[in-house]
This record gives sequence, C-alpha cells and structure tokens, in this order.
Amino acid sequence: MRWVKQTYDWLEHRLQLEGPVKDAALHPVPRNTASWWYVFGSAAFTLLFLQIATGILLAIVYVPSAGQAWNSLNILNHQLELGWFLRAMHGWGSNFMVAIVLIHMAQVFMFGAYKFPRELTWILGVFLLLMTLGMAFTGQVLRFDQDAYWGLGIGASIMSRVPVIGGSLVHLLLGGPTIAGATLSRFFALHVFVIPGAMLVFAGLHVWMVLKLGVNEWPMPGRIVKRATYEKEYHDLSHKDGVPFVPVALWKDAVFSGAVIAAVAICAFVFGPYGPGGQPDPTIIQTVPKPDFFFLWIYAALAYLPPALETPFILIVPVIGIAVLLALPFYASEGEKSWHRRPVAVLTLVSVAVGWGVLTHLATYTPWSPHMDAWSSDPVPGKNLHNATPLVREGAVVFQGKQCRNCHSIGGAGGERGPALDAVATRLTRDQLIFKVEFGGGNMPAYGKNLSPPEVEALVSFLETLHPEHEAPATDPSRKEVQDAAAMAGAAPATGAPSGAK
Amino acid sequence: MRLPLIVAAACALVFSVSGCTRAPGYPTEEALRPQDQLDFHVLYSQNCSGCHGAKGQNGAAIDLANPEYQALVDDATMKKWIIGGMPGTEMSAFGASAGGMLTDTQINALVAGMRKEWSKPDVFGGQTPPQYAQDKAGDAAHGHAVYMTACASCHQQAKQQITDANYLALVSDQALRSIVIAGRPDIGHPDWRNDVPGKPLSAQDVTDVVTYLDSLRSQAEAK
Ligand code: HEC
Ligand code: HEC
Ligand code: HEC
Repeated sequence: MRWVKQTYDWLEHRLQLEGPVKDAALHPVPRNTASWWYVFGSAAFTLLFLQIATGILLAIVYVPSAGQAWNSLNILNHQLELGWFLRAMHGWGSNFMVAIVLIHMAQVFMFGAYKFPRELTWILGVFLLLMTLGMAFTGQVLRFDQDAYWGLGIGASIMSRVPVIGGSLVHLLLGGPTIAGATLSRFFALHVFVIPGAMLVFAGLHVWMVLKLGVNEWPMPGRIVKRATYEKEYHDLSHKDGVPFVPVALWKDAVFSGAVIAAVAICAFVFGPYGPGGQPDPTIIQTVPKPDFFFLWIYAALAYLPPALETPFILIVPVIGIAVLLALPFYASEGEKSWHRRPVAVLTLVSVAVGWGVLTHLATYTPWSPHMDAWSSDPVPGKNLHNATPLVREGAVVFQGKQCRNCHSIGGAGGERGPALDAVATRLTRDQLIFKVEFGGGNMPAYGKNLSPPEVEALVSFLETLHPEHEAPATDPSRKEVQDAAAMAGAAPATGAPSGAK
Repeated sequence: MRLPLIVAAACALVFSVSGCTRAPGYPTEEALRPQDQLDFHVLYSQNCSGCHGAKGQNGAAIDLANPEYQALVDDATMKKWIIGGMPGTEMSAFGASAGGMLTDTQINALVAGMRKEWSKPDVFGGQTPPQYAQDKAGDAAHGHAVYMTACASCHQQAKQQITDANYLALVSDQALRSIVIAGRPDIGHPDWRNDVPGKPLSAQDVTDVVTYLDSLRSQAEAK
C-alpha cells in the first residue's frame, strides 16, 4: 500500500488541493443546519451527476438523426442487455431532478435563504431551475416519438405567437420551417453540450458560494437580517455554536442522496423507460399527444383559458414569473427569515403549490383532447336504438358521422370534452337542443351551417330519446301551459308528461 | 470481509435485473404503425362498430353481419363503398385514396374478415333474390301499391315512419334497396321474401317501392 501514499503525495505536491478541500469540508456551520431540511440541494447535485453518467452511456448508442433516433431507442430497449434499464434510469432521474430542484427552491424560499448575502446564489439557482426544465424538455424531444413530435409542434406554435420575431424564433428552434433532421441535431447539441455545460458552470459557482458564504442558519423569529451586521452575526453563530460540515452535516446529505438514487432505480425497475411511443410521423394523426408530467399544468391552464387570453398568457406569464423570481432577493434582501413572521410568503408558496397541483391533477384526469376515433369505434348503446323510429336511428348515424361522439360520451363510451349526453333530454327541451346544436356555446362548436335541416331534425329526435327510463324528458313550460289549458278546456285529464326539467 | 458480501449482493442485483426481462418495467414491443394493423376484429372495432354495431348488428346503420346481406353484395361493391363512402349517406370514405385512414390492404382484410365471420352458405334456400343494384327505371305508382300491400301493415304505425321526408333525405336509394332485399333481422325488418309471408316481392316490386319512396323525397322538396 505504500505506492498509494507515494502517488498521492506526488500528486498533492503538484496540485495542492488538500488545503482547500480540508477547509471546505471542515468549515464550521451553525449546529441546527445539520437538519433533514437541508438535504435537497445536495440531492439535486447528486442527480445531476447521475444524469451525466447515464446520459453519456446513452449517447454511445443513440443516433441523433431523424431517420434513426427512434430505432436506436428501440435497440436500447430490446436488444442491449439492460439498455431499457439505463433509459429508465435517465428518464426517471430527470423526473426526480425536476421535483427535487423545485422542493429545494421552495425550502430555500421558506427559510429566507435568498437574503443578503446569498442573493446571487439564489439567482444562479433560478437559472439552474430553468436549465433543469430545459433539459427535461429537450430530452423529451430527443425521444423523437409521436409525443415528442407533437410536443415540439406545440412549443413551436407557442413561439410563433411572439410578435414580430416569432417566425425567426421558430426557424432558430427547429433549424428550418418544419420539424426535420436539423431540428433533432439542434436539440441534441442543446441537450448534450450547451445546457449541461452551462449547468455545470452554474452549479459549480452555486456550490462554491454555498461553501464560501456558509449554509443558511435556521431562521429564528425576531432575528432580523441587516446588511451591516449579518456577516458578523453569522460568523459568531457558526464559530461559537458550530459543527464541522463534514461529517456532522454531510452524512444526512449522503443518506438522502443515496435514498433518492435508490428511489430512481426502483421507479426505473417498476415503471420502465418512457416510450418511445409511436413513430414520429406527421401523417399519423391517430394520436393523443400528452406532454411530460411537469408541463401538464400548462396544458390544463390553456384548456381553461378563453382563446383570446391564450397568447398573452403563454407569452407574458412566464416572463413575469421569471422576473419576479430574479427580483425577489433584491426586493427582500433584509428582514425576517422566519416563516412565522412572513405570512405573505407562506401564502404565496401554498397557493402556487396548490394551483400547480390542481392544474396537474386536472390535466392528468381530464382527457382534454377529444377521442379522435370515438365516432367510428364506440357503438351507440342498443337500448337507445332498438325501439326507435328510422329517423332516430338515422339521427344516431348523424351523431356518429358528425363526430359528436369524439367530445360527448353515451353509455360511458366516447370523449369527455363535453358533458355526457345520456340524460341530456331531461336537461334540455327540444328547442334548446336545436339551439345548442346550431349555435354551440362554451367549447361546443356551432354546427348551424354544417348540418342540413333533415340532419338537425334527425339529430334532435335522437337526442330527445336520451333520458333514463324512469325520468321523463324536459318539456317547455309554455308549451305545457298551452297543453294544460287545452286539457282544462276539454275537461279531459292532462296528457302532458310531467316536467322533468330541473 | 464485508467487501465480498457487498460485491456479491451487487452482482445478484445486476443479475436479477438483467436476467429478468419480466421486470415490471421491461418495455413492451414497439407500437405497431396504424397502417400495419391487419387484424379484422381490431380494424372493425376501431373503424366501423360506431355505426354498424359492435358485432355488425344492432347498430344505427345497416347490419353488416346479416348473412343475407353478405350473400347479396359482391366484394368489389363492398370495397367501393368502404373506400369512397356511400353517396347520400353518412357512410364516409375510409380509403387512403379518398382521404381516409385505411390502406387498400386493410380494406381487403376488412372485406375478407366480414366474409369469414358473417357469411353463411345457402342463405337464400335456392331462391334468387332481386339483384343488388337497380338495373331499370321503376314505377312510383306501382311502387305505392306495393307499399300498401307489403309494407304498410307494419310501417303505417306512428313509430315506424319510413315515409318521413327527413328520414328519406338521409338515406340513399341503394341503402333502402339493400335493406328491402336483405332485411334487417337485428331490428325486425323482414327480407324481400317475408314482407307478405309466402309471396316474395319480385325484382320489379323492389325497384318500384324504392322509386316510390324516392318520389316522396322530391315531393317534400317541392313543398
Ligand atoms: C369539440 C368538442 C365537441 C363536439 C365535436 C361537439 N360538442 Fe357538444 N358540447 C361540447 C362542450 C364542451 C359542451 C358544453 C358547452 C357549454 O359549456 O355549455 C357541449 C354541449 C352540448 C350540448 C348541451 C349538453 C348539456 O347537457 O347542456 C349538446 C346537446 C351537445 N353539445 C350536442 C352536440 C352534438 C349533437 C354534436 C355533434 C353535432 C356535438 N355536441 C359536438 C363539445 C363538443
Ligand atoms: C359514420 C357512421 C358509419 C361508419 C363509421 C361506417 N359506416 Fe358503413 N354505412 C353507414 C351508413 C349510414 C350506410 C348507409 C346504409 C344504411 O344505413 O343502411 C353505410 C353503408 C355501408 C355499406 C353498404 C351497405 C349497402 O347498402 O350495401 C358497407 C359495405 C359499409 N357501410 C361498410 C362499412 C365498413 C366496413 C365500415 C368500417 C370501415 C363502415 N361501414 C363504417 C355509416 C357508417
Ligand atoms: C313485418 C313487419 C314489416 C314489414 C312487412 C316491413 N317492415 Fe320495414 N321495418 C320493420 C321494423 C320492425 C323495422 C325497424 C323499426 C323501424 O325502423 O321502424 C323496419 C325498418 C325499416 C326500414 C329502416 C331501416 C333502418 O335502418 O332504419 C326501412 C327502410 C324499411 N323498414 C322498409 C320497408 C319496406 C320498403 C317495406 C315493404 C317492402 C317494409 N319495410 C316492410 C318491419 C317491417
């Protein structure tokens, strides 16, 4: 074992790293920062290295060409030993990394750790978050399957809405007017060289500053940050009641990072790699593209916005969001750190988290896109047709043929963009049905010009049959009055069906 | 002493992951391109069951599973309707050449599948049905008479108004003709032999009754 020591000494004599490393490792940190709350940053860093390692291995097999990318992923999945597991690790590593970075950011925000003198650390952190999201997006594009293709198409159409320079931006992003080979080369360069390179530099500086400025102390209500005194106070805190960073604080980081890597591996093993889905091919339109998990909320937000607000929302909200994040440490660089005394901060964080959660939930559980083949694949339930008139049956054909089924379900089958129509006749009278079909409203298209009068007749007589057996269809009260009056006049028992309208 | 243990455990893990292509996460085979799908049941249930019913019957449009219909129509005609759609009805064009989603091979697979699943030998019991396509002009007045004797018994009731102008505006003559000849057993409409039991309609009767129904359309339009 003597040669190990000799080699080490030889190297150390020239590199002289021992001193700085020891300093960094043994520098004292405030005792209460050795807490489980402080482990997310290091976990994000660990995941970054997991992604680099798995990414390099993937790059050995992956072919960044439009014609072969998809095939090379299938080779990884099926022909190379553990290739699928490697892909799965990289894919799940990406998910975990986005999640951990977000949690880290929320924790830093809650603990007021962005305040003086750590403003720049926070700002680099904001850029690291953006780059992490950028990696997630460009990585999804490299999969170059249908989801990637359509996701990119949506991204490009968002960019094209930027006033004046929109067209040039799209050109820049796609390397041409359409998604083609040049697009993939561009995203490959971004995903493999540009963003990771920048990320390593930023992450290095970020960690450097954490070491130099010290780990943020545990916030105490009433301990106010002031520019003039903070640094001395922190020095006293860490030196009088401090513990060496290694090993007192670091072992928790190590345990948590290990647990995160294990969790990534378990997810990879159980859930497997992402895709690749169907081949990317603009001629295949039988697809329901869905963006990756972390972008789902945008999808839901857009689906809920009135169309006129979409462009402003897409273009302005992200810019404002990023500007707010960057401005935060300057606006609030002094003052209270404790969440007990920062109700506005707590409320902001809670509402952002709840809003994000709700939108993501909506996007996951509500099928926003119509079911494109419901019209030709989901049969109209037999009980609606069996004792029907020929006109009603023809109405059912029109209902299928005009693809109403892609947005409306009957008998549990069909799209869910619009309401299920199983009991629509109990809600709407004949006149209301005609009006709805002809003029639309909400997200319901107006079919007025696209339907002939016989088609409307047939369609509406079919819709009128859609009510549960024990519940009578809705009737127009004014018509009922006329009927009732006639019945009274003739002293005959009322024949009008009892109104089921609610 | 500890090290070998850890190495062994790691090896075991790698081994179990690699040896086990049945790991829950192991990816399934790559998705078939939609155009490569040639299985009749998949093709039919994705493209046709919405209108023609889950098993070719009890749907909104004609019951393709009726063996008499299968015996009446030839492959070329069936392919023609599937590729290009049936003019005057909601039957849309499914052939790629007409802007639809299905390739020629897939449409052949559909036709072959229908024949295999739904044809039966000798469904006409030696009788010759009126031919599928109308070959000569009909006589509406005689058609009205045929209607009164052969159809009115059932179709005069309020519920079964095939003379409704709106209904007639949405079906083609050929669609009516197919139904009159082959019947729609799934919804209780008889074939040409059983409108008047024991007295099959002649080819001329069928042509005339369809001509009569068609004349109701132009009357409605004139109004
Ligand atoms: C693009 C999807 C879409 C298509 C296609 C579509 N609808 Fe709708 N439809 C909707 C939505 C969304 C609503 C709810 C509108 C609202 O906010 O009031 C709706 C509402 C309705 C209602 C009122 C339901 C109720 O309970 O109030 C009827 C009736 C209706 N649609 C019939 C049809 C018919 C008939 C067709 C085909 C000719 C059709 N829809 C096609 C999306 C669609
Ligand atoms: C949008 C509804 C719709 C869909 C989907 C549809 N059809 Fe049709 N089809 C019709 C209608 C309506 C007719 C006219 C005949 C009738 O209703 O009696 C028709 C007629 C036909 C005919 C000719 C009947 C005749 O009189 O000779 C054939 C064959 C046929 N369809 C096959 C298919 C096949 C195969 C598919 C799937 C690829 C399909 N259809 C999908 C609505 C549909
Ligand atoms: C034994 C009774 C009976 C006789 C006779 C009869 N039908 Fe029908 N027909 C029915 C029934 C039952 C239906 C299904 C219910 C409905 O659509 O009204 C039907 C439906 C139809 C349909 C609509 C099919 C569809 O897809 O909606 C047409 C067209 C039709 N018959 C034409 C005729 C013609 C023409 C004649 C005379 C040549 C005739 N029927 C004789 C009982 C009969």
